[in-house]
Amino acid sequence: MTYKVTEENNISTVFLNGEIDMDVTDKAKEVIIPLIEAGKEVHINLKDVEYMDSSGISVLIESHQMGQEKNTRVVLKEISKSVLKVIMMAKLEQILTIE
Amino acid sequence: MPSISEYKNFEVNSANLKHVRTFAREVFNKSETLKNYQEELVLALAEAAQNIVKHAYNSEPSTDTMKVEINYSEDGLLLIELFDKGKAAIPENIKPRNLDDIKAGGLGTFFIGQIMDQVIFKTSKVDWVNHLILKKQF
Repeated sequence: MTYKVTEENNISTVFLNGEIDMDVTDKAKEVIIPLIEAGKEVHINLKDVEYMDSSGISVLIESHQMGQEKNTRVVLKEISKSVLKVIMMAKLEQILTIE
Repeated sequence: MPSISEYKNFEVNSANLKHVRTFAREVFNKSETLKNYQEELVLALAEAAQNIVKHAYNSEPSTDTMKVEINYSEDGLLLIELFDKGKAAIPENIKPRNLDDIKAGGLGTFFIGQIMDQVIFKTSKVDWVNHLILKKQF
């Protein structure tokens, strides 16, 4: 997994790339969680994520819940087809913020 | 419909999960039927392999190996088997979590159950401690 972070109008966008499994979830959390803790609106762009398992889904859930705690928006953007399939299998499409 | 019978051993650590997936994709690509369900099947197999790393070995890297075996017979029966020498699983404790309980973790077993027809735990296999069988009839 690789990532890139951009900042624009007080919105941090984290572009994740590659395959997200338990081997890289700590790395993903280290990037995403501090941005949410800082109270920023965080967009997680998933267009280049080719594979995500339950560990990756856990990162999305934790990020969403932390956003609620910190009263800031965590939005999933441009979700790839394979990741959307997994999100829907977990019935999370109504829970997570998807735009 | 050609039959497939392949296996590979992997050292138990999270960095090897991508190699487990690569092996699975290569095998599933050998059948037109399995190729059509490749994403889901790879997810089910990888979740099972992840459970070995996470639960049988408490997420600690080990030089032990796990064996992943894929058999696909001419009558359309897919058997994915995983063997490991980690801590013995207690089948009664392995349950998919309630999806209404929104929390991180516990989804892997649910995914496996959604994708496969049957999940069988065995703990008495000679040379191994845990033996997991995932079945799907096409």
